[in-house]
Formats: sequence, C-alpha cells, structure tokens
Amino acid sequence: MKRVVRFKLNGEYVEAEVEPNELLINLLRDKLHLTGTKYVCGIGECGACTVLIDGKPVLSCITLAVDVNGKEVVTVEGVSKDGLTPVQEALMEEGAIQCGYCLPGFVVMGEYLLKERMEVSEEELREALRGNLCRCTGYVNIVKAFKKAFEKRGLKS
Amino acid sequence: MSEVRPVPLNLRNSRILPIRFEYYEPTSLDEALELLDKLGEEAKVLAGGTDLIVKMKMRALEPKHLINLKRIPNLNYIVSDSESIRIGALTTWSDLEKSDIVKNELPALYDAVKAMGSLQIRNMATLGGNICNASPAADSAPPLLVYDAKVKVVSKQGVRVIPLTEFFLGPGVTALRSNEVLTEVVIDKHNVSVGSAFVKISRVATDLAIASAAVMIKLKDGILEDVKIALGSVAPTPVRAKSLEAALVGRPAKLEEVKQYLNLLEKDIKPIDDVRGTAWYRREVSKVLVYDAFLKALNRLGGCSL
Amino acid sequence: MTAWSFLGSKTLRKDSLAKVSGALKFTNDLEVPGMLIGRIFRSPYAFADVKRINKERAERLGAVVITPDDVPQKLYNPRLVSVHEVTFKDHQVLTKRPRFVGDPIAAVAASSEELAQRALELLEVEFENIRKPILDPFEAMSPDAPPIHERIMKGDKWVEVKNNVGAELTYSEGDVDEAFKKADVVIERFFKTGRRYHMQLEPKAVLCVPHTDGSITIYTTTQTIHNTRILVSQIFDLPESKVNVVKVPIGGSFGSSIQTNVIVPIAVALCLKARKPVKIALTREEDMYDHVGFSMHFRIKAGATKEGFLIGGEFENIIDIGAHQVQPYPLLGTSLGWFVSLYKWRNIRYVGRAVYTNKVPGCAIRGYGAPEVTWAVETIVDELAEELKIDPLEFRLRNYVGKGDIFWGQGPTVRSVIKSDGVPELLKEGSELIGWSSRGRPEDKKGRFRRGIGVGRGFHTSGAGGPISGEVIDYSGAVLKVNEDGSIDYITALQDHGGGTLDAHVKIIAEALGVPPELINVVWSDTSTTPYDVCTHASRGTYVGGAAALKAAEIVKQKIFEYAVRVLGRVVNPEALKIRYDRELKQAVIYVEGNPDLKITLKELATIAWQRNWGTIAAVVTHRATSAPPSFTVWFVEVEVDTYTGKVRPVRVVAGADIGTVINKDLAEGQLHGGFAMGWGMAVAEDTPYNPTTGELLCRGFITDYKIVTAQDMPKVEDFKVLFAETYEPTGPFGAKGLGEAASNPVAAAVANAIANAIGVRFYELPITPDKILKALKERGEWFE
Repeated sequence: MKRVVRFKLNGEYVEAEVEPNELLINLLRDKLHLTGTKYVCGIGECGACTVLIDGKPVLSCITLAVDVNGKEVVTVEGVSKDGLTPVQEALMEEGAIQCGYCLPGFVVMGEYLLKERMEVSEEELREALRGNLCRCTGYVNIVKAFKKAFEKRGLKS
Repeated sequence: MSEVRPVPLNLRNSRILPIRFEYYEPTSLDEALELLDKLGEEAKVLAGGTDLIVKMKMRALEPKHLINLKRIPNLNYIVSDSESIRIGALTTWSDLEKSDIVKNELPALYDAVKAMGSLQIRNMATLGGNICNASPAADSAPPLLVYDAKVKVVSKQGVRVIPLTEFFLGPGVTALRSNEVLTEVVIDKHNVSVGSAFVKISRVATDLAIASAAVMIKLKDGILEDVKIALGSVAPTPVRAKSLEAALVGRPAKLEEVKQYLNLLEKDIKPIDDVRGTAWYRREVSKVLVYDAFLKALNRLGGCSL
Repeated sequence: MTAWSFLGSKTLRKDSLAKVSGALKFTNDLEVPGMLIGRIFRSPYAFADVKRINKERAERLGAVVITPDDVPQKLYNPRLVSVHEVTFKDHQVLTKRPRFVGDPIAAVAASSEELAQRALELLEVEFENIRKPILDPFEAMSPDAPPIHERIMKGDKWVEVKNNVGAELTYSEGDVDEAFKKADVVIERFFKTGRRYHMQLEPKAVLCVPHTDGSITIYTTTQTIHNTRILVSQIFDLPESKVNVVKVPIGGSFGSSIQTNVIVPIAVALCLKARKPVKIALTREEDMYDHVGFSMHFRIKAGATKEGFLIGGEFENIIDIGAHQVQPYPLLGTSLGWFVSLYKWRNIRYVGRAVYTNKVPGCAIRGYGAPEVTWAVETIVDELAEELKIDPLEFRLRNYVGKGDIFWGQGPTVRSVIKSDGVPELLKEGSELIGWSSRGRPEDKKGRFRRGIGVGRGFHTSGAGGPISGEVIDYSGAVLKVNEDGSIDYITALQDHGGGTLDAHVKIIAEALGVPPELINVVWSDTSTTPYDVCTHASRGTYVGGAAALKAAEIVKQKIFEYAVRVLGRVVNPEALKIRYDRELKQAVIYVEGNPDLKITLKELATIAWQRNWGTIAAVVTHRATSAPPSFTVWFVEVEVDTYTGKVRPVRVVAGADIGTVINKDLAEGQLHGGFAMGWGMAVAEDTPYNPTTGELLCRGFITDYKIVTAQDMPKVEDFKVLFAETYEPTGPFGAKGLGEAASNPVAAAVANAIANAIGVRFYELPITPDKILKALKERGEWFE
C-alpha cells in the first residue's frame, strides 16, 4: 500500500507517494530526478549512494523511502546549493577527479566531515573514508584534497 | 534430464527491493509486540536495515510483513550504574563509538566498533540488529561473549533474559522467538575488565572478518584469575573458547604461557572454507588473533608480564 | 626543457564541476518519455540447452519479451579491433545454448524496473542436456572434454573448434634449444594469475531510442562509439547512417567496455520490437556476470649467460577466455609482444592458446595481459639475477629493450623503433628514493613484521599504430573549428573513460594555437558527426587522439595565417607568421617576429572573417600513427609482511614514469596512484573463483566478496612518490606518450618481488593471499608457535 512521505530535501519540503519496498535511492533518482546519487553496489558496500539524513551520512541504497518521513535529507545536489564546498573545490584542484562516479559519495562525506570535525589526521580521514570505494585514483589525490579542505577552513589538518 | 529452475541470478536485483511486503511503523514497543504476535513467522523487524534490506535484495529473506522499530522511542541508550551496563537495542554503532562508557569500560567492544564497517554503516547499523542477524562473523559478538553479556527479549507474553552464549544457535539462527523483540544488552560489571581487547583480520579495511577474537582477563598477583576468550567467523556461531580458557585460568599472565596452550583452540572452533578464507587459514590465524588480543588486553592492564 | 604555455601546468578538468556537483549524466542517469526498462533472463546453468521458453505469463503482464527466435541469428564478436579475417565470432544476441551461468537467453521490457523484474520472474524457461561445467582450461583442452563451441566463424568462414581452443598463435625467432644449451643458467617456471573483475564503478548501461524513419539512437557505456555503431549495423542489417551512437560520460572502464557490450544488441532488439525507448542498466551482480578479465597460465623458460645476458626465452601462454571470445586473438599477440619487448631474449619460441571454459567471458583489463606477463617475467628476471649474483637493477639495464631497439608490444604485426627511453634515469632515481641498496637479504630479516623492497619494470604501448597496416585497426579523427569570436569547438569520437584524455587534447590544441583551454569547448559528439576512432584503449588517447587533434590544429593554424595575411598586409606570405598565447590579453595573438606592430588577436581575425564572408576556419582530419612507442614505468614498492597472519601491507611506493612530455601532471600522477591500487589488488587479493559444481561465481556478483582496496589500505600520501623522466617522444604530440596502462603494468611484479625480498619466498600463483603466505612460511617451519 502506498504511503505519503513528507521530508525536507536539500532545504525544501517535498512530498512523495511511495511503496513500502521503494528505496530512497530510487525515490531520489527516478521520481525526484536527482541522479547525482549513484547506484554502484546496491548492498551498502561502496558509498556511492551516500546521502545525509538528519546530518549523518547513510546509504540510500539500503534505506527505505518510507523511512525518511519527517526527516531531513541532503544529497550531492544539495551540498553545493550555495556554491562549491571546500571539499569540492579541493577535489577539482588536486587532480582528484577521474571518472567521477564515486565523487558524489565523497562530496557528501566531505560535507559531513567538515561540519562534524574540527581537525583530522590523515589516518582518521582514511578511516572515515574507507566506506567510499574508488577504482581510479588509489585515493591519493582524494585524501590530499580532503586534507587541503580542512587546512583551507583555517584549521590544521 | 529436464527441469525448470528459477534462478537466484534472475531473482536478484540489488537496484530495487524486488519483493512486496506490508509495512508497519509502530510508535511503541507494545504496539510492535502486538503486531509481531499477530503476524508471527511471516514478519521481520527492521532496525538499521544494513543486514535485513541486503538479505531481502538477495532474496535470502522474503518477509510478508516488515515492522520498522525505529519510531519506537527509548530503545537507544547506553547507561552504566554500579551493577551493570545496559545498551538499548537500537543504539547505533556510531553511538557506541561516541560513548565514553564503551570506550573506557568495554574496550573490547570499542575495538570491535572501530573495526566494523564504514562510517555510513555505523550510522545505520544497530547493536541489536548485529546480534539478531547472528552472523558467525558479527563483530559485536566476540566482545559481548567475553563480557558474558545477556540479552533481554520481550514479547506480549513477557520478558526473557538470555545469556548470549545461549542466544546464537547457528548462522542466522537465534533463540529469539518469532513474536519476540530484542530490546537490551546487559553486561554485569563484575564480568568486565579493562584488560580486554578485540582483534580482527579481514581482506580490506571495510570487510567482514576472516576471523576475529576477543579476550578478557582479570589478574591477581600476576596470575590469570579469570579468562574469557571468544572467536568470530570460525564456527557456525560466534564461540567461546572454553577449553583454552580453562587451561589458562590460574596460569601466570605471560604471553609465552598463553602460546603453549593455543592449540587447544582447535577443540572449540569449527572453521569452514569460504570465499573469504580457508578453514586451514582460519584455524591457524585464530591462534594469532587470540595471542594478539591477549597482548592488547595485557597492555591495557599496564603492560605487565610481557 | 621547452617552455610551454599550457602543457605541464595545472588546469581544472573541463568536466570537474559537473562531476563534483553530481550534475554529470551517465547513461543510467538518462531518461526519455515513454521509456521502458529492460531486464535480461540469464542462464542458471553453466552449460545446457534451452528446450522451451514460455513467455505467455510475462506478456500478460504487459511486458515486451524477446527470445532467441526474435533476434538475428548471426554470430558476432563484440570487439571490432582486428581486421575481419582474424575476427572470431561466437556470440549470439540471445542464445539457446547457454555456456556460462549468466549467458543471456531472453529479455523483457516494461514500464518500470519492478514490473520488468516481475515479468522476468514469470518467464518459464525449460532446460535440457544440463552438463557439468568445464572450469579449468587444461581440462577443457583434454581430448575427452565436450566442445563448448563446436564451430565458430573466423571472418566469413566457419571453422571447427578443436579441444576447445578458440584461437592460437605460434612464433619463433632464432634457436631456443641451442640457446638453452649454451646458457649458464636456465630456469623454468609455471605461473597462474587470478581472473580479476574490473569493478569499474559504473555498471554497464544502454538506452536505445527509436525514430519514425527506422533509425535508432544509442546511448551507452562504451570506449568506442564507432565500433558500437558498426556492430549494431552488422547484426541488425541497418545502414550505419541509421544508427547513431552518442558519446556519454563513462564511470570508469579499465577495458570492461572496450567491446560493444552485449546488452547493446539486446536493448536494440527490445527497442525495435517495442518501438519504444528501452533502457537496460545492469545491476552490479549482473555486471560481474557480464565480464571479467582473463586469467593466464604461463610456462616460461629463460636462459642467461654468466656475463648477465639473456640468450633464450620460451613462453607458453594458456588463456582462460571463458565461454565466449571477446577477441582474445590479439591478446595472444600482445602477450608475446609484452614478453619480447620487455627484454632481449635473442632466441624466442612462443605458443599461445585461447581456451574456452564455462565461465564469464573474459575481456581486456587494464594492460591487456601486460600486468600478467610483466609479473611473470620480472619474477624470472629477479631470479636469474639472484642466481648470477648480479644486482637485479643492473641485470635489467643490460637486457631491457630500449632506445634504438625494435619494439612490437602490440604483437608481431605492429613494429616500430624506440626513440625515447627514460628507463636508466628512472631506475637510478627510483632506487635512490626507495633506498634500494639497503634493502637487505631476506635470510637476514627476523621478527614478526618483515619489510622488503621490490622492483617492477615495464611499459605499455601508446596505441597500436605502426608503419604498415597489420592485423589491428588503429586510427583516429578530429574536427576543429574556430568560432566567430575566436573560441574553438573540438569534436572527436574518442572517449575519455576517466583519465582526462580529452583535457590533454584541449591542452595540445591550446599549445598549438595559443588559445587558452577555457576557450576550447569539447563537444559531446556522436558517430554521425565525427570521423572514425577505433577505441580508447591501448593507452592511445593522448598519443593517437592527441596527434589527430594536433594535426587538425596545424591545419587550422595555416588557415588562420592565410586570413591573417589578408588583414595584416605587408606580410610576404603565411610562413612569416607565428601564433602565441598572450597572457595579458588572455587570447591567441598572430604576429610577425621582430615587427611588434604587425599583430592581430584570433578573436579579431575570426570576427573579421565572419563579417567579410570569408568562411569558417575549420579542419577535419583522420590520423594513423606510424608507431606505438612504449611508455616505460619503473615501480619500487616496499611492503611489510606480518609473518604471523600472512597479511601484507604497502609501506612506501616510488612510481617512475617515462611518458615523454607531461601534459597534465596531477592527472598523470593520478593514473599512477590508481594504477598502484589496481596492481596491488591483482597481486594480493583479486580473483573470481567458481563453485565447481554449479559454475556460479562464489561471490555471486556481490562486491561483499570481491574486495577492492579502500583508502585505509593504501600508503600515506607522503609515502607515495611519483617521478617523471625527462624525455621527449619525437613522434608524439609535443613529445607526449600514453600512460593509462603503463601506470599499472609492473605493479604486481614489484609487489611480488618485494614480498620475496621480505620473506624469501616466491609465489607463482596470483593473488598472493595471506593463506598462501602463511602456508609457505609454515612449510619452512617458521611460525610464531
């Protein structure tokens, strides 16, 4: 039986009719046309579908759409609504961009980490990003970019 | 030979949840128990979803009813008093990670939290879910086993408190009845020691264990007064290594001493070959994991008797 | 070094903003009104016959269903890279004789994915003659093994398949037997590699849109839009002019879409039947049942003299190709090419066989056999050097194929002479950075955690061009036009699968014309509007595609000069003119050396040409490279082995690359970083084992059990050093060569050699898992007990 979910998406209130078996990733991509969130593994192993729910990064491929009722969801499209984030800028500047399929997940993680933590060591960064798989970059320039974004914010990385 | 076989590959579709079910969102435990009592075997309860939704995508589980527990208040807590530490079933791994109680009083569990999954998974997955999923590789199991944890399960008929050692019955099989909900994990303080640790070996940083081990020790005058050892991913359920424990109690707290008895582990574990590792490897590496956990636990007690 | 205006400097990728903001649309992000979603019915059996298909229930649901009876029966090869006479065809759009678990038998399309899934589950497919899967290539070659294919087509001719050998290549030079007699040291080793999965992040997808005139437009994950078009046109008997394939961004590939993906003809068939747009996007688990890499079994015998010179090499190569040929024939040639172009064997004997098994079809995976061959050869070379008590680096320097030598990495029919070579420089600098001389001997290393340093040296070709037309097709094209305001549109069929190839082209054009990269637009083109390009493969994007772009830029430059002569007056002829980038004006300026008053900006010139009706300045070119120069890479890796658990960890890495002129440094470094991660996985982790009874993948297509490294498994940023050799390739655009595959080829070799240096054990089977390491140490009686 269909249900109506109401939630805040990238700063705006939205309402959608969903089946209980509908996944958040498909609600975002197919019905709300926010295709930045990527399907890669479908089983919560790769991080490409990461979105923020109530400020915390979670995996939209294993989240039921009905479950976001009353919550706040931020996708990669919402992260840069008011201009590029320091992580996005740094990813561009540090040569961290190759095929780009994993990037939305990293960008969402960046948004969270920059808000959540005042400083991070490289080890902590690598631990925090271990749920986001990339096959192109070996993570070197991605980690470099994250470090730079933390530095840029005026705090020591 | 001729047969019709609908195949797993065609049935699986990890992009969608390829099955339909009735969905419920109880806002109180009573409501949830009422539903479970009514719907029985064909219902499944949803907590973090990191195991359940994946199993449903893989068609390993096809429940007709799904009861989402996350709207029930007061199932997410970590409290400590003079007697015990109690953790609510809906406590997420991130909550565990941030808890000073876990970090300071349950270091083996804290190790397990740091070794488990990704940041995203830790935000979603719950402690109760990890236990009820009953994977032999469940990262929370070895630490909770060495702390002699008990679980509180509730149904319309009442409350049962089950020692974790009796809770796991097989891969994915537990003592939980179809009308029950696991609501709390209880750890008695006299079963806890700072001299405890968990180690895990896996293929990459975000992975299920090839094998894992937790150790908890209590010392008196350099002698092992109490020893608890548990392993993951080396038997159909997470297991206590009782033969080894028995051999070590009363012995000096020295690694050389521990080493001598490690072969006893083989009595307590029944590893298999799977895609993560061979039975042979698991058997061998279990000894190293127990050794490493011992070392870490001893270090936490002040690094004595190395 | 030449002072470049743009080459080597840091510029933002053109697509970077779209990529970081999630705005870039990949194939699966596309939707068109009325689009149906397709799903494929895949064989549950590794080897069987379809007796009957009942599609009634699926159709009653409203789904469009196709079975083998609804599609062209032609055999095809999804990879068009070889000339017709050596293209081996055994694929069908849909098959009645599935040969691996996952072989497409039927397909459905419906208005939603869920509905399509339900329709798929309502298809009733009855099987007969269910056979035991043949999963081992040696078992497959045995005389009593049943044929996986009885006959296939080679070009236009039917050929019988004997002993399940799908293709074969033999070669010899000199007298190997005599050489082994003369040699002071001869060693023979058997090697086996894993069958890796590409694990490109984007699962394959296709969208096919029909038009009223009978033409179709295809959007798909591909490294080659033109070959996709040609193949669809061949299978469905459509003129190429009625098939347009649009270039869509691709989420990584590593060879996985080097061929036309088999989902393309299936989507076309569904689309033609439904007369509606159809999209098929593979699930991850299907993607892993769609393609993996090849596994290779080698026997290598090598002989050397006590003076430290190789004198003979014998190479037997058995490739487990799986159930269908994704053109492994050229791989038989390149495998030999990698072998002979690594070192001067002087006498060579080779036999290569591509063998069918009931497994997921293998296709090219980054390096096209080079990582595998390089691992084996670099192992042997290390062992020979040890035996001869010569420093392994010195042994390599004495024997490697370098400047002035004949080189045929892409196989015997693609030969050229090496003109740039940074190997000595990279060996020297790399060894100093890693601390080669203090790496120690394994027998002196004690304790639980032991470190070792290993070297891996290799190369990859830059494309597959050559002075004569061999068996491989390799040419590219470009269209370049100067717009009415002096900005530029660049149109090419060449795909960028993530490395930044097209940004390299932009810089080449910018350098040639003095036009800043931000004024050069890369058009997302299609087959209708571009000259042919074979494929983005063989690390040819920068070298061949970049040369095509440069060729077009040179023509455009001449036209610019011709127009400029008209405007500037007093100039004797176009040869008197030069063009440069003016940093203040931020645009191209055409000028006469020594005559500062004689100049005009390109913007002014283009506007005049438009206003005075002179016509558009444009060029269309097609380009065939006459060589395929090697890009050399030298890797030094330090590992730490936990001798209690067998786990290996990368500690430090020094990657050295000779790619000629470095066009985009940070992106080139990125290739090496990623190349390391992939090579590391190959060395210690990645494989796709099968269930021996059912023929299913043990990981069932889920990445839970096909692990690739995470950020936490890689060395720290400061422990990963990258060096570029100071070389210039005279045949390349502004001296540049390729990189993508060279960036990864010797990594597994370096890792394996480092493990050997740490614990004194050599492994001849990849991946070197903790299990294998522990077993070896235990056998040596060395363990913590």
